[in-house]
Amino acid sequence: MSTHTGMAAKRKAPESSAEAATKKRRSPTRVNPALYLFPLPAVAVIAFFLVMPTLQAFQYAVTDWNGFSAAFNYVGVDNFIRAFTKDSLFTNALTNNLKFVLLVVIAQTAFSLLLGLLLTKNSRGSILLRALFFFPTILSSVSVAFIWKFIYDPNFGLANSALGAVGLGGLQGPYLGDNNQALYWVAVTQVWFHAGQMMVVYIAGLQSIPRELYEAAEMDGANKWQQFKSITWPFVAPATSIVVAYTTVQSFKAFDLILGIAGNPPKSSLDILSTRIYSTFANSEFGYAAAQSIIFMAMIALVTWLQRRLLRLTPKGE
Amino acid sequence: MNQISRRQAMAVLGALGLGATAAACAGPGGSTAPGGATGPVAPATGDITGKVSFAHWRGEDKAVFDELIKRFVAKNSGVEVVQDISTSNDYNAQGLQKVRGAAIGDAFATFRGAQFKNFGEAGIYTELKNSKAVGNYQKGLLTAGQSGDSQLGLPYQVVFPMPMANTELFDKAGAELAPKDWDAFLAMCEKLASSGVTPISWPGGDVGNGGQLFNCMIANNAPVDDMCAQIEQGKLKCTDDWFIRMLNQYKDLAPFLQSNATGTAVEPAQNLFSQGKAAMLATGSYHLAAVRNLGAKFPIELVFPNTSTDGNAKYEGVYNATFILGVNSASKHQAAAAAWIDFLSEPENAGYYANQTAQHVSVKDVDYTNADLKRLSPWLDKKTALAARFQFLNLDVRNAVEASATAVISGTSPEQAAEAAQKIVDERL
Repeated sequence: MSTHTGMAAKRKAPESSAEAATKKRRSPTRVNPALYLFPLPAVAVIAFFLVMPTLQAFQYAVTDWNGFSAAFNYVGVDNFIRAFTKDSLFTNALTNNLKFVLLVVIAQTAFSLLLGLLLTKNSRGSILLRALFFFPTILSSVSVAFIWKFIYDPNFGLANSALGAVGLGGLQGPYLGDNNQALYWVAVTQVWFHAGQMMVVYIAGLQSIPRELYEAAEMDGANKWQQFKSITWPFVAPATSIVVAYTTVQSFKAFDLILGIAGNPPKSSLDILSTRIYSTFANSEFGYAAAQSIIFMAMIALVTWLQRRLLRLTPKGE
Repeated sequence: MNQISRRQAMAVLGALGLGATAAACAGPGGSTAPGGATGPVAPATGDITGKVSFAHWRGEDKAVFDELIKRFVAKNSGVEVVQDISTSNDYNAQGLQKVRGAAIGDAFATFRGAQFKNFGEAGIYTELKNSKAVGNYQKGLLTAGQSGDSQLGLPYQVVFPMPMANTELFDKAGAELAPKDWDAFLAMCEKLASSGVTPISWPGGDVGNGGQLFNCMIANNAPVDDMCAQIEQGKLKCTDDWFIRMLNQYKDLAPFLQSNATGTAVEPAQNLFSQGKAAMLATGSYHLAAVRNLGAKFPIELVFPNTSTDGNAKYEGVYNATFILGVNSASKHQAAAAAWIDFLSEPENAGYYANQTAQHVSVKDVDYTNADLKRLSPWLDKKTALAARFQFLNLDVRNAVEASATAVISGTSPEQAAEAAQKIVDERL
């Protein structure tokens, strides 16, 4: 049995020049090849389900393939040009989508921060309310869409019935039936659906703030707004960064909610990029739909990158 | 075991990636098209055995098809039939991809129009011209399943995409059920409104069902019968006088629809009708079973919104021949699938299907015992136009053109709505 001292001595023993040369030739990273078998299933899954479809999307995007025919033509970047210059349905969907993202990001971030601030304390009432606000998150998006579709129904819907019942019949509206309002009402649903999830992120951030900071601030005579500005906000800023990024991606891809609430195909005032891509596929324009998907992917990547650049929200001192 | 360097390992993984890339770069559509896209193959002959998948979208007919399957299997002991049912939206969007490899859909149904055309071009249909089934159909109703000289599919259902009417409310209001022209139709609506009911319940929030009214509105307005095909080809325009006239007639309808009609989904629209709050439901006879299930007890008739201005209308109504049955050319059980289609096409079985589902069928000599079908059967002999909206092969164009009507209902001027629709048509030309 070797001792630690003996092993250390062995390690420190000077190497012969031949041994050193051999070691130089042999890579110090040589490992048992069996170890490389372990990532293979993951590599295979990524290759077949991520790399291959993505590459295929790029390939289809430069063709006029209709999705089933053996015949197709390479059309270069025509599909990309068409999307921005000759397809008002695509540019309409793009505009709707950007509007929707902006609406939801602002409303959802503000609302979930407010919920977080109100429900941070671990009182029984707060815990119950947290559960209530978190509840929509566990529902499937299709259920949420159908529930809200009926809430918004102008004839039998809960919204108009409730307004009528309290004598506010004059405020009853067509909701999804009005092209100028429809997107706002779907944004309300989206915020209702996901605000609870974001509230949890904020509560985690808020609960990490040391109480002593508030006590010291109070002793210094700081009011609630000053405490929020100087203590709370710097600590929850990183959470905001996460919330904004997550909400952006989520709102870009609100496909199931839109399709569930507005039907297939949605009318043009509710058409967003993901539903437009779906419609284009359904219209047997695979090549063009693939090009739209690539534009969509690039757009999400760009917006996320821009957000990371613009929203470098880190606590002070870090 | 020999050891390999990280570089070698990376090379292996790189090769895998390249393999994936190479696989991805195979020509689109290259490994597809069962049976080729070169035209229909002849119907198969052989043993009626195996497991046949019947792909369709009518979930509400599942129990009826289950019973028919039971009867079919009793006659052919070596066969099994399973139903692969999608929702109609999914079937419309993904039906081709699902059926093309014959993973499902040895026998299948298609919608008339773009879907039928796409299936035909993909070579998925077999030729049914010489099949036993084809002789059972009314000849005039088979055209929707034809492509050139080939009979690729058999349109099984005959539906009337016209407003259904609660005749009790019509009687109470003293309103006419068969107005001869547009003024008479509006007068009828006025009488219904005066009697305290909503004249027309219209699901303007549902593109598919809301669009059925378009078939009626365009039938007697257009200068030719293939008007929608010509709009799509750029030969006719939405900005033409006749189209604007039609949009103005939509504008005339707006006061007679339920409030906020453009935000109404199909189920609430059905409810308004079923509960007797609306005198008409502007979808079609295909909703007979649905409104009965919602509790409608009153007699139901069909009303044609006759847009003629001089009383000399070319058509008295509109119909559609759809649920086009076909046999998959890639099926391994073609003979059994063809036998299943033959079985469905026998008058006795088609009659069972029709009476249980409240859908007329295009099969000859069917005895309609269902009270609603009996009452509406005279429509099978009237001068009706084949529903025009299914002439559109581009769904974006169809939706845009139909959306012009919805826009008018919600307050846009007919001229503006027509221009917006024509812009999209022009982009797709």
